[in-house]
Amino acid sequence: MQQERRYSPPSTQTSSSCGDSSPFAKKKKSCPFTAAKVKVIDYKDTETLRQFITERGKIMPRRITGVSHFYQKILRKAIKQARYMALLPFVAEE
Amino acid sequence: MKKNRSGLYEGMYILSATLSNESRKKAFDKITDGITEKGGEIKKIHDQGRRKLCYEIKGKKEGHYYLLYFTAPTQAIIDLWKDYHLHEDLLRFMTMRVEEVQETLEFKPIRVQG
Repeated sequence: MQQERRYSPPSTQTSSSCGDSSPFAKKKKSCPFTAAKVKVIDYKDTETLRQFITERGKIMPRRITGVSHFYQKILRKAIKQARYMALLPFVAEE
Repeated sequence: MKKNRSGLYEGMYILSATLSNESRKKAFDKITDGITEKGGEIKKIHDQGRRKLCYEIKGKKEGHYYLLYFTAPTQAIIDLWKDYHLHEDLLRFMTMRVEEVQETLEFKPIRVQG
């Protein structure tokens, strides 16, 4: 007689529940623009924009900053407009 | 016939900071007069003063920033750009359509956590 075998899927634990103790657990990043519920990202607001560029002046990838795809598109445009008006550097010298 | 549409625009202008106050005013009047001549109306002028440029433009390291809000017929914008390109003291300009006039230029900086 064959024993009925049941497939048991691997336990679906969320990363946050097991992650607290693990040193390799990824901390969930949250989008600062979504949290603040902004409508537009202004190119004149250089203080905000400067947080999303490197010291060299490059736009930071969203995997590092945690900005959502929707806002990264708007942010990218704002940074490029600010660069054109010389509010932000294209390339910052060391 | 096309309808004569007009829109609200925001224009940022960088004038050379090496100019004297008088000649800078003259150069700025040239910009504002150009708009009114084309049938536009100036809503708000923000004089942002001298600022260091992040990179050199036409050998200049500093510029005098102006921010204008104005309405203009959409057809006139192309003509305005042509004038701006011939303007010698104007280092950079950018005009774009906006929804509303910003009365103050203060921003709430958004902080990144961590």
